[in-house]
Amino acid sequence: MAPKLPPQHSLQHSSSAVAGGQSQEGQSHYPHAAQPKGLMRWLLTTNHKEIGSLYLIFSLTMFFVGGIFALVVRAELFQPGLQLVEPEFFNQMTTMHGLIMVFAAVMPAFTGLANWMIPLQIGAPDMALPRLNNFSFWLLPVAFTLLLSTLFMPGGGPNFGWTFYAPLSTTYAPASTTFFILALHMAGISSILGAINIIATILNMRAPGMRMMDMPLFVWTWLITAFLLIAVMPVLAGVITMMLMDINFGTSFFDAAGGGDPVLFQHLFWFFGHPEVYIMILPAFGIVSAIIPTFARKPLFGYASMVYATGAIALLSFLVWAHHMFIVGLPLTAELFFMYSTMLIAVPTGVKVFNWVTTLFRGSISFEPPMLFALAFVVLFTIGGFSGLMLAIAPADFQYHDTYFVVAHFHYVLVPGAIFAIMAGVYYWLPKWTGHYPNERLAQCHFWCSIIGVNLTFFPMHFAGLAGMPRRIPDYALQFADFNLLSSIGAFFFGASQLLFVLVVVLCVRGGQKAPAKAWEGAVDLEWSVPSPAPLHTFETPPVFHRAQSHD
Amino acid sequence: MWSVVKSVLAALLGVQNDRQRQQDFSNGKPVAFIITAVVVTMMFVLLLAGIAIYAAG
Amino acid sequence: MRLPWQWLLTITSVASLSQAHASSWNMPVGVTDTSRNIFGLHMTIFWVCVVIGVIVFGVMFYSLFRYRHSKGAKAARFHEHTSVEVLWTAIPILILVGMAVPATATLKNMYDASEADLDIMITGQQWRWRYEYLGEDIAYTSNLSTTREQIRGESERDEHYLLDVDEPLVLPINRKVRFLMTSDDVIHSWWVPELAVKQDTIPGFINENWVQINEPGIYRGQCAELCGVNHGFMPIVVHAMEEAEFETWLEERKEAAEQEAMGVDREWAIEELMARGEEVYQSICSSCHQGEGQGAPPAFPALAGNEQLINELDWHLDRVINGVSGAAMPAFRNTLNPVEIAAVVTYTRNAWGNETGDTVQPATVAERIAQ
Repeated sequence: MAPKLPPQHSLQHSSSAVAGGQSQEGQSHYPHAAQPKGLMRWLLTTNHKEIGSLYLIFSLTMFFVGGIFALVVRAELFQPGLQLVEPEFFNQMTTMHGLIMVFAAVMPAFTGLANWMIPLQIGAPDMALPRLNNFSFWLLPVAFTLLLSTLFMPGGGPNFGWTFYAPLSTTYAPASTTFFILALHMAGISSILGAINIIATILNMRAPGMRMMDMPLFVWTWLITAFLLIAVMPVLAGVITMMLMDINFGTSFFDAAGGGDPVLFQHLFWFFGHPEVYIMILPAFGIVSAIIPTFARKPLFGYASMVYATGAIALLSFLVWAHHMFIVGLPLTAELFFMYSTMLIAVPTGVKVFNWVTTLFRGSISFEPPMLFALAFVVLFTIGGFSGLMLAIAPADFQYHDTYFVVAHFHYVLVPGAIFAIMAGVYYWLPKWTGHYPNERLAQCHFWCSIIGVNLTFFPMHFAGLAGMPRRIPDYALQFADFNLLSSIGAFFFGASQLLFVLVVVLCVRGGQKAPAKAWEGAVDLEWSVPSPAPLHTFETPPVFHRAQSHD
Repeated sequence: MWSVVKSVLAALLGVQNDRQRQQDFSNGKPVAFIITAVVVTMMFVLLLAGIAIYAAG
Repeated sequence: MRLPWQWLLTITSVASLSQAHASSWNMPVGVTDTSRNIFGLHMTIFWVCVVIGVIVFGVMFYSLFRYRHSKGAKAARFHEHTSVEVLWTAIPILILVGMAVPATATLKNMYDASEADLDIMITGQQWRWRYEYLGEDIAYTSNLSTTREQIRGESERDEHYLLDVDEPLVLPINRKVRFLMTSDDVIHSWWVPELAVKQDTIPGFINENWVQINEPGIYRGQCAELCGVNHGFMPIVVHAMEEAEFETWLEERKEAAEQEAMGVDREWAIEELMARGEEVYQSICSSCHQGEGQGAPPAFPALAGNEQLINELDWHLDRVINGVSGAAMPAFRNTLNPVEIAAVVTYTRNAWGNETGDTVQPATVAERIAQ
């Protein structure tokens, strides 16, 4: 996820940009007289490619930070008993792992890919609001430095799980919770600004001739994701502000003693939280929908259905939040409503899987690294979808809820789901970013290690959960020992194999087999019409979009 | 109008053909789709709530 | 060449280990009609997923194998087929409707807590459960009984490591028991897998659930909702008895409670109070203030050598009876009886070098509580 820095702009570079209607005239219009050098260049940059790289590097760093937290958790759970860390610190680790992975690794990675690829895919010279783009990135390091610093504060960092249920996160929370709230506010603002920028770019800056219906699915899914972000991040901001008031200003939103309701917190949190789940998976759908047709050398099956299904999923995602709350004592009617709506949302999601599989059918398939990850995505995400379907059955959820079965479920949709899709996207677009193909041998090695690691880590968790192991416990009864042993071995293996990913990316930035503009034989979208590596400024004169490149 | 409703219902199922999509995107106004989609979603909520209330007895 | 064999050995040994003491890989069938229904739903939806998975992955891997570019496969150009798409949308919807019908029936049954024979109030507290037999004048708390030494690996872990309590919840079989569930502090969740009861206990609100157990036995579970530092250490044990046996137990409990109530009025000797106090301290207080009263500052202050505690008896009593608002220390006014409070206060004032020589009498405590 650390692409090569786009070359500093120079006349040679831009004149090599042959495609997309770049003209000699276009070059003389660079607005910047002298670019700042060194650190200031990165602090002040407004270039979508540089900001995209910053997002991706930030995300990769946080992926490892969150990963180390996970390994602390897995090390403690390696065998029964308390060996390495105290329960208090264990709870901080589970909480921080969740928060960092969701808000600092997965979400910024997708924003980084959006920054890099959306302008290239729609033939725009940059994002619509470049300065805002810079600001929304630089909020993130500040926010997460603050969040991580809470670990060193007296009383420790957040220890109430990434879902921070009140009153554990209000009345009973450590003193650092106020900092946690501020950090989350900043991350939320960053997401909203990023989303506004993406919507403005997609709606206003498409190349002449490119209609909405011609847009690649990655652009489509991001457009819908951006609307979801704008809709739900303010809900998150609201709920953490209510926490802030409860903690510091004597209100009782979530305190029954003062007339409040702890369950209200969960309703608000999950009204944000469930669309958030789709925020983390819809762009992944877009990436996979770009990669599978490329390496099957066959147009995506059911492009129209995919677009409509994405819209349907986005709307339905607002109607299912209480399936996270089946055991808080909802009225029977509410249980039934949310059970039905949850079961139905599986349908458009299933349709997408069917479409990918049908795209493969009678294709001409090759197995380059991006394709390997995309195929693994389809299989393993579907397994996560199956356990999701099981969790939707409300009576059965009384047994599944808050166990390792749930942990297995959401890790299957997030790790081999969202994260594999991100990695697939990185492998797919690395030639465009760096001008080199990633080392195929190493990438394959990374793939197989990841596949083994991910399944060894998360598959046994299904069994542990069904056998009765609750989540978020630092120590467990003896009958869960074998499953936990396997999971811990798998986690360390998976963690170590991600170092291979860094190696592949670094090697690819530094050199490797040269990639042509159209790096993959079956690739069709607009980004493949600019040279590899993509020069710092592309499409300064809008390209003419040919219908032949569209999806029909 | 009917074609807009039909497209929105198709979206709810997650199935749409390319010809209809071409038509939606060349003739339809986005606002019409968004409003229809929101209305249809609300009707869907009411329908589902109705079934839930009925089933709960 | 030896390496694969070593791997195989490891794998088989892990597998045999599993058989040695893993009770199951799957959800327990359980001992109530509800748990059996849930198990049925669970297995049905599981097999539905397996069948869909076999078909989808079958087509996928067939395509991957059959249409390899390296074998010269030529890609077709089709990209749409509305009737196929409608079909594969309609079939899952039908399957889901098929699942929804039995799920709805089971859920309705689970929500019907009416006409119960016995009501039990379950209260979650950081980090123990309190059970109150409503209308029977019996109430007690249930604490983890696994020793610190076992958790720290200083002694052999027993069979029910982390799943043992000092006082289990005792229930009759074949009778409908209604649970009223609440919490004194944060949200907990009372879960016993074999009874298929999992319900959040929410401070300030009361949730309802019920159970009718078919077979006598001992059923174990744990708190399922993160409730703070000792979330992993508040197990649940249910002892289900034949009805006659349960009635006997109930009578014995009532008698013991009366005995205890009489104990309030008499004068207790310091040795008696110390002995009783140590029991109470170890089961209730030591999870936070630690076994030797050394505490775990800043959250849990030390009691040994605590100046304020030693010098101010009144302050000490007040803390135990009324708790500390905004901190982890709960009010024990309703959780412990006057004898227990008197004993534990006496104990903490005379243990670990706190040699005040004070004795606190149960009558004094009862008076304080009555104020």
